[in-house]
Amino acid sequence: MILLDTRGLEHPVPLGMAFSAFTKLQGREILHMIHTKEPLPLFELVAKNGGHHYSYQDDEGVWHILVTRDTSLDLESCRV
Amino acid sequence: MFNRGLSLDQAPPISVVLRFFLSVPIFGVLFSFLLIVYPTDILIPNHPTSLSAIHLFFLGIISMSMIGSLFQMQSVLGGKPIPSPLGNSLIIHTFFSVGLIALASAFLFHLLAAFVIAAVLLGSSLIYLVQLILPLLFGGVTHDTLRGMRLALLSLLLTAVFGAVMASSFANESFGTLHEAVRTAHYSLALAGWIGALIIAVAFQVVEMFYVTTAYGNWYKRNVFRTIALSLILKIVWLFLALPYIWVFDLFLAAVLLGFVVTTVIRLRARKRRVSDVSIGFWYAGMGLLFVSLISHIVYLYTASALCETTALLSFGLFSLSIILGMMAKIVPFLVWFHLSSQGYLQTPIMSNIIPAKQNKRLFVLFAISSLLALISFLTPILLSLSGIGFFAMFALLAYNLIAAVRLYRHTQTTSPRMSMDFSSQS
Repeated sequence: MILLDTRGLEHPVPLGMAFSAFTKLQGREILHMIHTKEPLPLFELVAKNGGHHYSYQDDEGVWHILVTRDTSLDLESCRV
Repeated sequence: MFNRGLSLDQAPPISVVLRFFLSVPIFGVLFSFLLIVYPTDILIPNHPTSLSAIHLFFLGIISMSMIGSLFQMQSVLGGKPIPSPLGNSLIIHTFFSVGLIALASAFLFHLLAAFVIAAVLLGSSLIYLVQLILPLLFGGVTHDTLRGMRLALLSLLLTAVFGAVMASSFANESFGTLHEAVRTAHYSLALAGWIGALIIAVAFQVVEMFYVTTAYGNWYKRNVFRTIALSLILKIVWLFLALPYIWVFDLFLAAVLLGFVVTTVIRLRARKRRVSDVSIGFWYAGMGLLFVSLISHIVYLYTASALCETTALLSFGLFSLSIILGMMAKIVPFLVWFHLSSQGYLQTPIMSNIIPAKQNKRLFVLFAISSLLALISFLTPILLSLSGIGFFAMFALLAYNLIAAVRLYRHTQTTSPRMSMDFSSQS
């Protein structure tokens, strides 16, 4: 799992970093993005480029976004 | 949590937004031309040339940008995409542009029939815009930015209605006893309700996001649009009933806008990441200009000084222009990058290369010099002509930046390889 912590970075830097990381994913690799907001445009970019995502908010209000290019992966089971 | 109802085709095609943005420098150049050629007339309140310039500025530059942004914002913030965005934006843009040219010409060349054309085209385009977007802002998730957008659109609707009434008066050269009340309601709704509320609503989202600041306070966010709406409603009632102490409502409006200046500057100064970004300069300049505008207007309320009235309107216009230029510097590169990325192009240019920082710095310098010259043009009208030359150069540079971004978008589409969609074989 590739970790990308973008908390504290100004928009749209996190989106650019996350999408760049997504394009480099191989096979069943998963990108784990940690962010202060739910990056809705990222989900659109990922879906339009054949990937899929799963996102959730932890008890401290931090967003965790799991992204992969392998659509057969159950990302919910990969929650950290 | 999954998508929370997010449509995966939310963003409208890039041409929808760029159509409006690319029109801004065209009307900006026309506006600059009036400043250069007719500086003396423009400094006289209610002179036809002044009214022509005011409408070119507030409709052709400010509202044109805001309508383009609304097409993007509604789909992202409102959660419900605008139906048929290409067709609807084309209709609205065409009617709006032709109507505005008719209105500016009507004032400038005393073409009475053009007032009728302007009333029909501008009125219908704005009413169509409101009926298209406003219903989409209800029935889903509600937040303060959406409340601000609702107020802005309702204000725009009423501004258009009052504007059409006045255009018919100009066409007939017959002004009723309520003309002054209609005129005051028209510009109050346009400035505080349409422009003010929409900029504040957008700031609630973008200042925190773009500059990593703390969020605006909940108390302010909860009450700002209520105060603006209530002040405007009561002001209009007072206007039409010719009641005394109407200035009280202007003081309320000034207070909430001053609150916006103070809270925004505090957040920008305390931002967590101090990266070099010229768009911050536009925000600071905008807040300074809004402050000057509000103080000038308050002084005008007590002195009825024509100079203060002109300064208040001029600096309010420059405030809105400053914010819009700062926003464009961020939004246009993002849109180009986002749409290329969503189409899977692998050699998408990085955002900071789409409109280089040095180009934005030049834009800011031209804006600052031109604004300063305009603000001190009460000394001599020649300064307003010089300001017009500065704005001419600024809008030409803006056109260059926007066209360069569009060319880069098209170049990437024709030269970049696209991402492979065949992932199943990799797993």
